[in-house]
Formats: sequence, C-alpha cells, structure tokens
Amino acid sequence: MRSAPTPHLDVATPERVALTLPIAGIGYRCLAWLVDASLLFFFWLVAYFVFTLLVSDVLGVFQALSGVGQTLLVVGVFATQWLYWTVSEVFFHGQTVGKRVLGIRVVRTDGSPVGVYESAVRNLCRAVDFLPMLYAAACVSMLLTRQHRRLGDLLAGTLLVREERIDLDKYTAAPSTSEPLPQDTGARPLSPEDVELVLSFLSRAPGLAPEVRQRLGARLVERVGPDDAEARAAVLVSAESTEAFLRARVQGAR
Amino acid sequence: MATPLPAYVAQRRTDWDALQALLAKQRSGTLKLGELRTLDTLYRRASADLAHAQTFYAGTDVHRFLNQLCGQAYASIYQPPRERWPAMRDFFRREFPATLRRERGFVGASAVLFILGILLGALVVLWEPRGAELLVPAGVRHYVAQGRMWTDDILSVAPPNSVASGIATNNLTVTIVTFALGLTGGLGTLFLLVNNGVHIGAISALCAREGMLGGLLDFIAAHGPVELSILVIAGGAGLMVGQALIDPGELPRGQALAVRGREAVKLVLGCAPFLALIGVVEGYVSPGDMFPTWLKAGLGLVLGALFWAYLLRAGRTEAEATGAPADSAS
Repeated sequence: MRSAPTPHLDVATPERVALTLPIAGIGYRCLAWLVDASLLFFFWLVAYFVFTLLVSDVLGVFQALSGVGQTLLVVGVFATQWLYWTVSEVFFHGQTVGKRVLGIRVVRTDGSPVGVYESAVRNLCRAVDFLPMLYAAACVSMLLTRQHRRLGDLLAGTLLVREERIDLDKYTAAPSTSEPLPQDTGARPLSPEDVELVLSFLSRAPGLAPEVRQRLGARLVERVGPDDAEARAAVLVSAESTEAFLRARVQGAR
Repeated sequence: MATPLPAYVAQRRTDWDALQALLAKQRSGTLKLGELRTLDTLYRRASADLAHAQTFYAGTDVHRFLNQLCGQAYASIYQPPRERWPAMRDFFRREFPATLRRERGFVGASAVLFILGILLGALVVLWEPRGAELLVPAGVRHYVAQGRMWTDDILSVAPPNSVASGIATNNLTVTIVTFALGLTGGLGTLFLLVNNGVHIGAISALCAREGMLGGLLDFIAAHGPVELSILVIAGGAGLMVGQALIDPGELPRGQALAVRGREAVKLVLGCAPFLALIGVVEGYVSPGDMFPTWLKAGLGLVLGALFWAYLLRAGRTEAEATGAPADSAS
C-alpha cells in the first residue's frame, strides 16, 4: 500500500498510458532558489570587484572603459534579475542551475516543456511573488494550492515536477555466490510487493543496527522463506546467511 | 500471474537504458536522423512497459522509474515548435501588433485611467498650490523653487550611456511590475497607472505655475510620447490579467488565467526593445541643451507616430482591414 498520497501531475499521452509525475514541493523550490540566488550573488561579488578595479583605474589604462563598465553593470544587474531565469528555462529544458542541482523541472500543466511565453510570464511575476518580502506571497500560494504553484505559475499555467534518481541495479545485481545455498526452485513465486520489500530491506541492511537487522531479516524470511522449520533455522543462523538467502530468493525466478 | 519483477527488469532493461542514452543525446542536440526512429520505437515500448507495470507492479520502484522515463521521453517527443529566430521575426512583424489591436479595449481603458490620473494631479495642484507638497517629490520641489530643471544635472554626474542604461532598465522594471501587479485582480495595475498619472500631472502643474512648463516640455518632448505609450500598453496587459482573474468567462479560472497571461505577456515582451531604444533617446537627447527644443519635439512626435503606425498597421490582415473580426475583444 502507498502511504499518504503525494501531489502529482497526471498526463494522458497519445500512447494511451497515464503518466504520473511527482510534483516538487515548497522545500525543493526554496532550495533551488537559494542555489540560484547564491550563484548570482557570487557572480556579482566577482563582477563588482572587477568593476571597482576598473573604475579606480589602478593601472591607468582603462579610462575609456569605465563608462562602458558602468553601462554593463546596470544592464547586467537587470539581466540577472529578469533574464537569467527565462533564458535558462527556455534553453535548458525548464531548468535553471539551481533546479538542475535539485532535480526539478518546469513543465506546463499538460506535462509538455515550457516555451518562451510561459517562462516569461512565470518569471516576470516574480515581481509580485516576491512581495511583501522574500517571496512571502509565493510561499503562501504554494502552501494553499494543491500542486504547489506560486502566483507566477498560476498565471503561466506551469508547475514543477521532480526527477528522482531510481537505481534499477538492485533488481539485477548478481546473487552473491560466496555461500552455496539450496535453491528452492519449487517455492511459490513472490509477489511484486514481496520483491520490493525484500529489495528495500537489502539495500538498507548495512546501515541498520545489528539486532534490528537480524529481527527484520527474520520477519522477512518468515514471509517469503521455506516452510519447514529446519531449513528456516539453517537460514537464520547469521545476518549474512539470512540476507544471502533473501537475495537468492528474489533472484531465484530469473 | 506476471513474470517475477527481477526477471522482468532483467529482460527489459536494455531497452530502457538505450532510451535513456538516446534522450540524453537528444537533449544535447547530437541525435542523428536514423536514431530518431529508434527513439520512437523505444518510447512506444517503454509506454507499453509502463502500462504493464501499472497493472502488475504498481507502487514499486520499477513503476516509478518507467513513469519518469516515459515522462522525459514524452516531453522531448511532443515538443512545442521551437520558438527561435523565425518565430521572433514573426512575433514583431505580425503577432505583437495584432495582439495589441485585438486587446485595444484594455489598452484604451489603461490610457483613460492614466489620463484621469494626470488630470487629477494637475487639477489638485492648480486649485490648491499646497497640494504640490503632497504629490510632488521633495527633490523636484527643491529644484523648482530655485527655478532650475532637476533634469539639467543628470548629465553632469554620469555619462549619457550609463544614464541611458539606467533609465532603460528602470523603465523596464516599471513595465514588468505594472504587468505583474495584474495578479492583484488589476488593483495594483490600476493604482500604478493612476499614481504615475497623478505624479506627472502634479509636476507639470507645478512647473506651469512657476513658469517652467517650457523646460519640462523640452525635457520630455523627445522620449515622452513613446515612453508613456508603453506604460499605457503595459497597464493594458496588467488589466487583462486582472480581468481574467475576476471574470474568467466560460473557462475555469485557472485555465482562463493561463490563456490570458500568455496573451498579456506578448504585450510586455513586444514593448521591451522599444523601451530600451527610447532609453537611449532619454539618455542622450533629452537632458541638457545640446539639441534645440524644436528638434526634440520633432523627434518625439516622429518617433511616437512611427511607433503607433507600426502598432496599428503592421501585419494587418484583410479581415481586420475591412471590418472587426467576430472574436475581437471589446
């Protein structure tokens, strides 16, 4: 069974499959903004030092440049404030640097990538979302809407989906052959839930406290293991043998 | 009973990995034409796998993985047409002016509000001279009391290019805020329009009473017509958003907002380059007395006329020329 339903975006594709994409919540979005903001901050720190160096003209060769420098400074501040977001979202498939780091992406409400207009709308609306300070309006809007959208997203018809890093190796990892085990090929096949349960236990087992590890292993063996008590006792002698058995059991049906 | 999960993954995984590799290639733009067909096939297979996983392995990591994989593939296969240079040319040639003409009701309402603000500010200051203390910024009053234009000093503190860039970015920010405040149900936009109008009206009236109207007109003649037009257009965009929020019509409010927001932002994006250009005029031509007043006024009128001629004529279709189309917004 699934636990509490997480917000998601349902997309019906022309291939007649329903996609369910997980939506990025307020935490992801704030973190992504922090990454972007600190990136821009450090960029301007460096730019400011270079600029003051040019203006103070320590070397006396940049006199002609300082006017140009001032213009660039003004235009640059404007560009980082307004253009940075839209340009990166349009050219990098809905991701700014911060969004890429956090693994989130802007899409339209039908799941397709954003275009210039949508991206421009949602980023120009930062002017209102920022009010009265530090994106307070945006946070309220994200908390109140079902799909965690800020005001700019509502006007643009966009939202942010999350990309998870899912490791499929655990399904196909080769069984450890250190210990020869009885292959109970006659056992009943495992249901997908059992497989998922055993695999998530196996991937977490090295980090568990020894007694918890033993106890959980025993309960899983009880659930999927051999029926006769003798074989079960043989499996349960140590944590290693328990996990080796479980791994073999999951891989058994290959 | 379906195949056990590990066996299923082992059997299908090569296809999924291949699809992921192709998607990465597509994203970096190095996909070859021949591989496109493979991408399509693999996407269809992954979709079928997803349907299979939904039925037999719901809630597992494989299900989530396939969901995400198909989501990414879906996004890269069903892309909207690339909006690049040809689209941009088409936007300025046809779409921006056409949008403005279609939404002329909102731009007109915005202009009316702005002019009402000007009249209000001017009348208040003309009737009650002390109203200037309330409506005109202290710095400006200080200059006017000395009988000088506050704009005379602009060029003595900074070179024209930095003045121009400063003014242009400042105006762009005002335009953006005017549009974005439409999200307050149009109230913010309304306030900004009237407020700007009152300021301009009050300052003009103050200058007129002190006999400095000539100096003020000398300053704003060159850039005023275009700049104020753009402010009014941005106000129209903000009002469009406000209207969609208050009265979404037959669509659900969320959809109406998305549709109207997309239209409204075209007005803002279209105005941006003109605002940047007029910033150059305001930085180089308007301040000081390098150019005579008649030249500034002439330039302002010509620029304003050209701007509006472009807005009203560019990309006009036959239907528009003969009569208003049926779906035009009032």
